[in-house]
Amino acid sequence: MSFNFEIIGAWLVVLMTLSIFSYLYGDNIFYKAAEHIFVGISAGYIFAITFWDQIHPNLLGRLFPSYIDAGYELELSYIIPFILGIFMILRLVPSLSWLARISIAYIVGMAAGLKFYVFINSNILIQIKSSAIDFNGSTFDVINQIIILIGVFSGLIYFFFSKEHKGTIGKISKLGIYFLMIKFGASFGFAVMGRISLLIGRFEELLTYSSSEFNYATPIVFVIMIIALGFWSFQDKKTSLNQDDSVNKITR
Amino acid sequence: MKKLLIRLGNVDRRWIFLLIGLSVLIPLLKPKWIRIPIETTLNTQVVFDEISKLEENDKILISFAYGPSTKPEIHPMTIALFNQLFSKGVKVYIVSLWPDGVIMAKDAMMQILDSKVFNLEDGKHYVIFDYKVGGEIVIKNIASDFRGLYMQDINKISVANISMMEDIKSIEDFDFVFDLSAGVPGNAEWVQYACDSKKVPLSSGCTSIMVTDAIPYVESGQLKGILAGMPGAAEYENLVYDFMINQNDNKFILNYDKIYPGKATSRMSSQSLAHVLMVLLILFGNISYYLLRKRRN
Repeated sequence: MSFNFEIIGAWLVVLMTLSIFSYLYGDNIFYKAAEHIFVGISAGYIFAITFWDQIHPNLLGRLFPSYIDAGYELELSYIIPFILGIFMILRLVPSLSWLARISIAYIVGMAAGLKFYVFINSNILIQIKSSAIDFNGSTFDVINQIIILIGVFSGLIYFFFSKEHKGTIGKISKLGIYFLMIKFGASFGFAVMGRISLLIGRFEELLTYSSSEFNYATPIVFVIMIIALGFWSFQDKKTSLNQDDSVNKITR
Repeated sequence: MKKLLIRLGNVDRRWIFLLIGLSVLIPLLKPKWIRIPIETTLNTQVVFDEISKLEENDKILISFAYGPSTKPEIHPMTIALFNQLFSKGVKVYIVSLWPDGVIMAKDAMMQILDSKVFNLEDGKHYVIFDYKVGGEIVIKNIASDFRGLYMQDINKISVANISMMEDIKSIEDFDFVFDLSAGVPGNAEWVQYACDSKKVPLSSGCTSIMVTDAIPYVESGQLKGILAGMPGAAEYENLVYDFMINQNDNKFILNYDKIYPGKATSRMSSQSLAHVLMVLLILFGNISYYLLRKRRN
């Protein structure tokens, strides 16, 4: 007996997608199962890929080049990250968990140092430079840049808390709120657009897998799921009615 | 009328889910019923123009930082980008900053190879490198020491034996960088850790949700245009499709009959209809809420 893994994969995709969608009706066993499978598989996959693609070749490949051929030569300096990694795992041992702080301190310090320069350069200096108005541009560009400059200035004033927001400061900060609201509105619009795009992607796959080529995976799983949900919903109602009856009897 | 509007405000949310589902499903099932014209926005046009400036044997580094969850938005951009690059004879170098980025890169390349539009050879026209953990650290290393980071390609072939890797040492050896991302690390990290400091032109195709954060980089020229979510993908697809079918004597295109517009274009009807419905629901929801509050007072 031979298995067609493409068809098995299609059925799994349909089952998982419809299980997650079933949450829109209400919390149920299909959703719970799909949620747990997703989290478990994701964690396992990331763990495996991190070990085999990173730790195994880059760390162990440099410390034990005669055993692991990853194209590197012996580099003893890699003992330091190896020890820091072990310190992180020691968090699981209560008496030695304090050693993990050394690794965390290294990570935080290194990240802060890395971010410091690049953030100042790309997000502050260049952004300040680009918010200056270029009067050599077209009228439309100049108006656009003036609006951006007003938005930046009023937005910053809104976050300036050293002075009470009254009078002129209050008016400018209120203008800043409007600019922020426009930004949040645009972000919300884009977020909706993104979610709808994902929905389109799922529906497209469900439609593809509803063909005879995939043994009508979508309609079959869909019908089975509706029957199962209907059955459980009916059972739940029956159980809650019985419970209500027994409560009534006791109170009488 | 007032009563109806108030009742609409209290409708079970499951009816709204059903309506949204139908608004997406119907245009997918019956694409001819709803056709909405796609007009190119400035940011998409800038991306297309910047890529058009590249010449034969120029080198582009493409970063994959998305997975199956955001495939519907970004994959059409990838396919269109590959089509534009290969029809100009540009050499493509692919790195992945997300674990599933490699899967996406392979899938996109497989679609291009299966289309038989180009005659492409692994290691000669394109090279794919494996996923590296570290996000911005990887970007920083790519910027300074590409060869130190990537010793072999995804087929385990040493970079010393890959002809198109001869002159590649750091990011400065690339003529362009293109980021395809759905989160972190994404275009912001490429701007900050590599392209600003090394002065390499960068462009990006990203999910809709990232666009508002990336726009300041576009305005300042740190990003050369941006493909914004599915609409950006659809616009770019159309530009590339028009470009390819109007090439009469392009030596890189072998089969003109196999050139098709991409998937994002066909998805835009669903997107637009769902948006109209969302706007109406927000409008009715607010009117209903206003009337209800007025009645309570």
